[in-house]
Amino acid sequence: MNRALYAAATGMAAAQTNLDVISDNLANADVAGFKGATATFAEIGGAGGPGLGTVSLGEHIVFTQGKLMKSGGPFDVAIDGPGFFSLDDGRGGRAYSRDGSFSRCADGTLRNAQGWRLSGVRLSADALSASVSGDGSVSVTSPGGTRVVAHLRLAEFPAPERLRAIGNTLFAQTPQSGPARLVAPNEENGPRVRFGQLEQSNVSIVEAMMQILTAQRAYEANAKGVQAADEMLRIADNLSRG
Amino acid sequence: MVAARTRLEIATANLANVSTDGFRKHVARGRLTASGVEVDPLVATAQGALRRTGRDFDFAIAGDGWFRVRDGSSIRPTRDGAFVRDRDGRLRDDAGRALQGRHGDLIVPAGASVDERGAVVVAGRVVDSIALPSASALRTGFLETANTDAVTEMVDVMAAQRSFESAEKVVATIDAASRKAAGDVAALK
Repeated sequence: MNRALYAAATGMAAAQTNLDVISDNLANADVAGFKGATATFAEIGGAGGPGLGTVSLGEHIVFTQGKLMKSGGPFDVAIDGPGFFSLDDGRGGRAYSRDGSFSRCADGTLRNAQGWRLSGVRLSADALSASVSGDGSVSVTSPGGTRVVAHLRLAEFPAPERLRAIGNTLFAQTPQSGPARLVAPNEENGPRVRFGQLEQSNVSIVEAMMQILTAQRAYEANAKGVQAADEMLRIADNLSRG
Repeated sequence: MVAARTRLEIATANLANVSTDGFRKHVARGRLTASGVEVDPLVATAQGALRRTGRDFDFAIAGDGWFRVRDGSSIRPTRDGAFVRDRDGRLRDDAGRALQGRHGDLIVPAGASVDERGAVVVAGRVVDSIALPSASALRTGFLETANTDAVTEMVDVMAAQRSFESAEKVVATIDAASRKAAGDVAALK
């Protein structure tokens, strides 16, 4: 019965872990550029007999494409395909993100909500408006006319799924992910950039809700298993008292 | 009562794994022996439901067969097909075990795709493959969920508990009867 008790307890812990990951996904379902995570589990095998429960193997980020949506921002860009925006903080720090909502600063740089600059792009002081074409060339319209001032480059990695999430939809390079390689967006064979659009999170609210219900049921059922094992221990105990 | 205990152990172990992708549940099979009922756990090989994830390296096997993963130097079979691609092209699960191809670790070069037969294709050329029985198919972007669910296993947990309780009643009755018999014999003396 102890075996059953512990197996059911591992099930409760797994359901809890699963619920944590799903609720984090759900909480960020409206955050542009957010990538959901998924928790994985493995069976703890018993030698020859029934297993001893389950163990969490951790979680990994799911880098599937989010939907692109037209947005109202003056400098919103979205990536259609693989790759990341390469960002720097001006002090040597570097991060990568799929969130393309930038705003223009006084010094001509484009910064995201956390103040990270879009690397390699600087608008001239007299620019009235700016736009990005499919091949990544950034052009500004000033009283003197329209001209290309910079080329947007996207960062690609040998193993993007090994990037480390550092919060605020930012990712950091790791030895496992390999070094970033800057590529020019390409209209023909991707990745493409879409100006005036934002990539939504890749979390489906309906699916996340469904997963929450399933995790909750799993938790309840495992709690029932703990109860049953406990009850049987009590009965066995009474029996031995006679 | 021992049989009911084994049933409970099987049901709780299954229950704990309802969220484990690729999990194969055990079923309790009872058999009558001279000393009562014995319950053996058997692995149920029924196909689990496929869940769409959209990831490039989530695989599900529709039909028989196993993924082979290397854990250190030993090769283990698994039905869990959630892998993450390393920078050297190896596919590893979240426990760090590498998926095996025809000749050792499967290497998926950049830009390669994995087709329905498990073959890794680069520019129309097959470079390696995941060995699968000929009748099975590989579904990319899907994971196979556990072949059991919380409700079924909860019912089993309750059934095991009830049968344990009934067995306990029987033991208590036999115990009471033998105590009475012992008392009667003592009174006769």
